[in-house]
Amino acid sequence: MTARFGRAELPEDLERVLHKAVRIQWITIGALAVTVTMVFLAMGNSQAMKAAWIEDMLSFAPPIAFLVAVRMVNKPPSEGYPYGYHRATGVGHLVAAVALCAMGLFLLIDSGMGLLKGEHPPIGSVQLFGQTIWLGWIMMAVMAVTSIPPVILGRIKIKLAKELHNKVLYADADMNKADWMTAVGTILGVAGIGIGLWWADAAAALFIAASILRDGYKNMRGAITDLMDTRAMTFDDREPHPLIGKINEHLRSLPWVKEAGSRVRDQGHVFHVEAFVVPRGPMPPLEAFEEARDGCIDLDWKVQDVVVVPVPELPTEAGGQRQHQSERNL
Amino acid sequence: MLSYGQVMRKKLLLLAAVLLLPLLAGCGLKIPADPDGTLERVAGGTLKAGISYNPSWTEAGSGGDPAGTEVQLVRQFAAEQNASVEWVSGGESDLIRQLERGELDLVVGGLTKDSPWSKHAALTQPYLETTNAQGDKEQHVMAAPMGENAFLFELEKFLLNLEALK
Repeated sequence: MTARFGRAELPEDLERVLHKAVRIQWITIGALAVTVTMVFLAMGNSQAMKAAWIEDMLSFAPPIAFLVAVRMVNKPPSEGYPYGYHRATGVGHLVAAVALCAMGLFLLIDSGMGLLKGEHPPIGSVQLFGQTIWLGWIMMAVMAVTSIPPVILGRIKIKLAKELHNKVLYADADMNKADWMTAVGTILGVAGIGIGLWWADAAAALFIAASILRDGYKNMRGAITDLMDTRAMTFDDREPHPLIGKINEHLRSLPWVKEAGSRVRDQGHVFHVEAFVVPRGPMPPLEAFEEARDGCIDLDWKVQDVVVVPVPELPTEAGGQRQHQSERNL
Repeated sequence: MLSYGQVMRKKLLLLAAVLLLPLLAGCGLKIPADPDGTLERVAGGTLKAGISYNPSWTEAGSGGDPAGTEVQLVRQFAAEQNASVEWVSGGESDLIRQLERGELDLVVGGLTKDSPWSKHAALTQPYLETTNAQGDKEQHVMAAPMGENAFLFELEKFLLNLEALK
């Protein structure tokens, strides 16, 4: 089966990247399953461990959203879904982001209350190999061990996210990469209890809660702006996507085109392009439009869904001068 | 914006701090420690034990002195810490409140793992499992002050390593 994003067939090398990303996400889910089990068993009464565990549980959402979305966007556009299923990615992104925000807020309040009430977390012992060991040592060991895989996976995923232009994968990778901070925070919190600082645990939990909330907010903003059809941005939302410029440039280079400008929105992996062109002289034949469209499609695999619209003047949002909107001429 | 080198240095510093902890433990800093110093106060001094009567775990012996399995255990633990035991009797909820205020060091009274006090007291690990008349399993615990982890750890170490109970 050829991997597709709706109507867009992936170039062969990108198909390999996609398969690799799917494999990495399955590995992530496997690693997470081991992590949540280990952290749960060592959790005890530490608030920081509880926060770290909840963060790990939430980390399941992005890889699952990614895997589901990859299946969903495979479907070609239909009568009922004329733009295809690309937005499934954005919806998954938003759901995961809202979950992060909610949990971050809950933990922030929960840990803050613990701190205000002066709760002293009791951490006792475990029997291991016939020895009585302080549970805190086990907690710190578990956090140290479980902090390593996400950092490695995160680094791999960032590269794949860039090639696939997948923002869910990028958000996931970004969170994974920052996971070591949670681990160090938890270790310091538990160590704090160890030396008799009862507040260290709740303080560490607060720090983790704040980082979850920050992740949630960042992702929610990204997901919402994408669903609001902001102009297409690079995979990390740093700058406008260079393809917009390339499309306009290509259209302007055509001999019959006087001016060109386009609205480009990000559907998830692929772009939806509405290109406005002002013809030079009389109306060109239909073939010219078809050729112009095919030229745009050849620019990048992400560009498949292109409409080229002839207009007397460019609308303002596509770089025009006068108050001409794309929806309606005033 | 931090440069890559600065970030790496920060990471290494944190790593060093984490690795240093066991070392600190090695040179005199006791881990776990009590925020309120319960174990230090008890060792070589007095163990203030709350007792709520629940035969055969805790009962009034001949002459009014406390007796019962858990009373024996508390005496043995106190002896290991070179401490004498000062008994305070009362109802469970009253004793737990005193424990929360730091007026008691531990509470016994045939408490089990699923006692409702787990939010107010640090229950030890179950040291013994019995079956009651209704055929339910009961896991027996003692109650220590919240967050006094050195004391809790010593008490659990004592309870879990009792040869007689195994």
